Amino acid sequence: MPAAPLRPLLAIRRYAGRWGLIAALAALPVYYGIHDLTYGYQAGYVAGHVVIHHDLSMLGYDLAQGLSNGAIWALIAIGYTLVYGIIELINFAHGDVFMIGSFTAVGLWGPFGLGLTIGALGLTFGLLATLVITMIVTGALNVLIERVAYRPLRNAPKLAALITAVGFSFILQNVGLLWRGGTPQSVPDLIHVQQTVFTIAGVPIQRGYILAFAVMIPLVFALGWFIGRTRAGRAMRATAQDPEAARLMGINVDATISLTFLLGGMLAGAAGLVYALYETNVWFFQGFKAGLIAFTAAVMGGIGNVRGAVLGGLIIGVIQALADSRMGPQWTEAVVFGYLIAIMVLRPRGLLGEETREAG
Amino acid sequence: MNELRLQLREWRDAVRKRLPPWWNRGLAGAFILIGIVLPFFFPPNSGFMNATIIAVAYAVMALGLNVVVGFAGLLDLGYVAFYALGAYSLGWFGSGFLFKAHIHVLVSPVAGTLPGVHLNFILILIGAALICAAAGVVIGLPTLRLRGDYIAIVTLAFGEIIATLAVNGQSIHIGGGMTLTAGNLGISAVDTPYFPGIGSFNLLNLRPWYWLIFAILLVVLFVNLRLRDSRLGRAWIALREDEVAAVSMGIPLVKTKLVAYAIGAAFGGMSGAFFGTYYTEVNAAQFQFGFSIFILAMVIIGGIGSIWGAVVGGLALGYINNYLIPDVLNDLPSKFGLNFQLTQVEFGIFGFLLVIVMVLRPQGLIPERRRRLELTAEIAAEDAQLAEAPGTAGGAT
Amino acid sequence: MSPAGASAPPAPAALRAIHITKRFGGLDAVKDVSIDVPQYGIVSLIGPNGAGKTTLFNMLTGLSRPTQGSILFGERDITRARADVITGYGVARTFQNIRLFGAMTAVENVMIGHHARMRAGLFGSIVKPPRVRREERETRGRAGELLAYVGLREAVFGRLASQLSYGDQRRVEIARALASEPAVLLLDEPTAGMNPHETQALTEFIRKLRDELRLTILLIEHDMKVVMGVSERVTVLDYGEKIAEGDPDEVRADPRVIEAYLGRQE
Repeated sequence: MPAAPLRPLLAIRRYAGRWGLIAALAALPVYYGIHDLTYGYQAGYVAGHVVIHHDLSMLGYDLAQGLSNGAIWALIAIGYTLVYGIIELINFAHGDVFMIGSFTAVGLWGPFGLGLTIGALGLTFGLLATLVITMIVTGALNVLIERVAYRPLRNAPKLAALITAVGFSFILQNVGLLWRGGTPQSVPDLIHVQQTVFTIAGVPIQRGYILAFAVMIPLVFALGWFIGRTRAGRAMRATAQDPEAARLMGINVDATISLTFLLGGMLAGAAGLVYALYETNVWFFQGFKAGLIAFTAAVMGGIGNVRGAVLGGLIIGVIQALADSRMGPQWTEAVVFGYLIAIMVLRPRGLLGEETREAG
Repeated sequence: MNELRLQLREWRDAVRKRLPPWWNRGLAGAFILIGIVLPFFFPPNSGFMNATIIAVAYAVMALGLNVVVGFAGLLDLGYVAFYALGAYSLGWFGSGFLFKAHIHVLVSPVAGTLPGVHLNFILILIGAALICAAAGVVIGLPTLRLRGDYIAIVTLAFGEIIATLAVNGQSIHIGGGMTLTAGNLGISAVDTPYFPGIGSFNLLNLRPWYWLIFAILLVVLFVNLRLRDSRLGRAWIALREDEVAAVSMGIPLVKTKLVAYAIGAAFGGMSGAFFGTYYTEVNAAQFQFGFSIFILAMVIIGGIGSIWGAVVGGLALGYINNYLIPDVLNDLPSKFGLNFQLTQVEFGIFGFLLVIVMVLRPQGLIPERRRRLELTAEIAAEDAQLAEAPGTAGGAT
Repeated sequence: MSPAGASAPPAPAALRAIHITKRFGGLDAVKDVSIDVPQYGIVSLIGPNGAGKTTLFNMLTGLSRPTQGSILFGERDITRARADVITGYGVARTFQNIRLFGAMTAVENVMIGHHARMRAGLFGSIVKPPRVRREERETRGRAGELLAYVGLREAVFGRLASQLSYGDQRRVEIARALASEPAVLLLDEPTAGMNPHETQALTEFIRKLRDELRLTILLIEHDMKVVMGVSERVTVLDYGEKIAEGDPDEVRADPRVIEAYLGRQE
C-alpha cells in the first residue's frame, strides 16, 4: 500500500512537540549557564570583597542537587505512572502515602536504635531493615486504599474515584498532622547527608546524592526486571494495554491492579525513607507538595511509562533546584506548576509517552 | 435490602403525589421568609449569627462551584483562586492599599478622606465578579480539551499558582511604591460596606452583614435557577452527559463551557469579596488548597449538580466547620481520652465524609432534580426496570 | 418546516464527499471514497462490519477530520468545520449506539436538538424577557409535536430518556435530530435491534420523512430488506474502499459485493 505523503503540518507538529518540550525544559539550565559564564555568580566573600566566578560550577552544583532530589521524585513518580497506566486514574493519595512512608521510617529509627552515635555497620543494617519495613507498610497502605476507595468505584465515572482519592489524601494528611504536628520536624542527620564524598569538575558530590541514587537505581532496575521478566509483570503490561483482553486471557485483573498499587506504594515508601535522611526533616504536608511535583514528573516523562517517570523525575528535580537557588524557593512551586500546565495543555503525552488509549 | 429500598421509594412517590402543586414554591418562600427574620431571634453580635453569616457565604461559593463541577462537569480543584481574586478585588478597591490613588465612589464620609481606591461595596462586588469571570475564562480555556482527571490537576495547578502569587505579591511592585498584595501580612483596614442612608457596617452589629450576604445568596440562587431551566442550562447538562452527542446537536463546546467557568468563577469572586470585608483583612494565608477541597466537599455532599444541594451542603459544612467543631464539639475527643482537639482533625473529617459519600451515596444529600447523575448509573438502571410499570410519573417539575 | 439553507441556490448534490481518506497511524479506515447524495434522495451506505461507514459519517458530521479530501454541503465546504457548526448549517444525525442524554426527559432531549436554532444567550436566559419565554414555549411545543410525529406516546414525554424502552429511545433520537431543522439527515443503523414489524414501520417512516419534510437522507444499514425497500441508491464500502454503487438491484447482483459479504464472518 503506497504511503501517501504525510501532511507537512502534521509532521511539524509531531516533531515540534517533543523538541519543543525538550527546548522548554532545557531553557532554564541553558539560560543560567550562559548567565553564569557571562555575568558570573557570587561565590562568597574574601576579605570583605564579593568573589565572582565565571564558570559552570554553580550550575553543576545545582544540577547535582537537582538530580538527587529528582531521584526521590522519580521513585514517587513511578507509582503515579504505574497506577495511571493500568486504571487511568490519578492516585491523588499517593503523595501522602510517601509522607506516611517518611513518618514510618523515622518512627522506626528509635526502636532500631539508630541515632547519631551508632556505628556504620549498625546504621547500614538498621537502615536496610527500616527500608524493608517501610516499603511493606506503604505498599500495604496503597493496596488498602485501592481496595477501599477505588475498587468499589471502578465502574463509576472517573469523577467519583478522583474525589474519593482526594478524600483519602486528606485523611492521610490529618493522620500525619496528628502524628507529628503541623510544623516541619527535624530528624537526626543519620548519614551526615551533606558531607562531601568526592568532587567532579569542581562540584562537590554529597553523601545525600549518593544515597538517593544508591536507592533509586537498584529499585528501578528491580522493577524493570519484574515487569519485563516475570509472569506477574507481563500481566501488568497486558492489563495496562487492554484490561478486557487481559481478563479474557485468564489474567486476574483485580490481583494485578492490587499488585500495581503494591509496587507503587513500596517505591513511595523507599522515597520516604530517602527523603527523611536527605532533608533531615519531615512534615505532614510534604506529601501534597511532593505529590504534585512527582505527578508533574510523571506527566512530563509520559504518563504510563516507567522510564518516562524516571526521566521526568530527574528533569523536574533539576528545574526545581534551579528555581530554588536562582529565583528563590518562594517561586519554585509556581515554576513547576507552570511547566505542568504547559505540558498538559500542549503536549499531554510528555516526552516518552504514546498516544493515550482513547486516541483515534 | 432492595425490598426496603423499593418500599421506601414507593412511599416517597406516594407522598409526592399527594403534595399540593404549590409545595415547592411554598418551601422556597418559607426558606426566604425564615432567612429574612432569622437575625431577630438572636442578639446583634451572637456567635451563632457569625457562624450563619459565614455559612451563607460558603453557600454562595458552593453554588458557584456547583455551576462548574455540577452543571458543566469540569472537576475544578483550584476554586480557591476565585476566592482569592474576589477577596483581593476588595483589598485593592476597598481599602488604602493602593495608596497612590485617590478614587472614591459612594463610600462613607470617613473613607472618602482616606488615600487609596474606595468604591462602594456593590461596585466592588460587580468588579470582583467581572475579574473572576475573566480569570475563569483564562483558566478554563486551556483545560477544555483535556480529560476529566487532567482538568482536575491543571485547575489545581492554577489554584496553587494564584496562591503563590498572593504570598509573593508583596515583592511584586506595580509602580509608585505599591505592591500587588501584602502577602502573609495581609491587607488590613479594608472598608466595611456602606450604604447611603444606612451608614457603615461594623462588627458589633452583625444583622446588616447577614442581610447583605443573604441578599447576595438570593441573587445567586435566582440566577442559578433561571439558568438551570434555560437553553444554556440544558446545553451544560448535555455537554456533561455526552460531549460527542451534544456537539452533534449543535452545542458549541468551547463557548458553552467557558460561560460555565465564568459564571461559576464570578459567584466565587462575589463571595470572596464579601469574605474579604467581613474578615476585615485579605491575607495570603487564607488561600490554601484545602479551601478548594472544602468547597468541593460542600457540592459533593450536598448533591452534585443540584442547586439546593449546594445550598444545603454549603450551610451544613459551613456550620460544622465554624460552629459545630470549634465551638460545640471541640473537646469531644478528650471525653474519650484522646489528646487532640476536634479542630485538628477537620481535614480528616472532611476527607472521610467525601469518601463515605462517594462510596455510599454518590448523588449526595439532595440529588439533582433530574435524579440521574454521572455517578449513579446503577440507580438509573434500577429506575428503568421500575418504570416498566405503567403510570409511573417520571421527573416532577 | 423548511430545510435549512433553502435560500442557497439548489445544487444537484446536497452532500458530497470527494476523495475522502482517513488514516489512523498506519491504518486507512477510509480510502479515497467519494459519495454524492442527491437532494431529496434516500441513499444507503452498506458494507461489512469495520468497512468504515461510521468513520465516514463522523467525517461528514464534523466529529473527525479527513486526512485527505473534502466535503461539500451544497456549495459550502465543510471539510474542516466543527460539528456544532455543521449542525447549524443543516446536517443532523443519529447514532449507532443510541446517545440520548439520560439525565433529561424525552422532551428535553428534543429541545436540545433545537439548540442551534434558538437565540437565548446568557443574559436572556437569566432575565427571561418575553421573547425568550416565547422561544422556550415554542421550542417545548415543537418538541412535543416532533415526539408525536415520530410516534411516541404522550404519556412518556416527561420520562427520563434512560427509562424509555429501546424502541422509544430510537424514536426520540430521530425526533431530536429533526429538531435542528436539518436539510440532510444521517441515520446510523436506525433499525438495529428492531423486530421485523418495527423495521417495516421505520422503513415507511423514512420515506415519509423525506416526502413530508423535504429531507435528504443518508443511512447506514445492515438490514437488506430496508436497504432494498427504501433506497434509491446504494453505496457499498469494504475495508474502507468503495467497491460498488448504483441502484439497489444493480448492487445486489454485483459479484464484488456478494464476495465481500459472503467472504466475511458477520
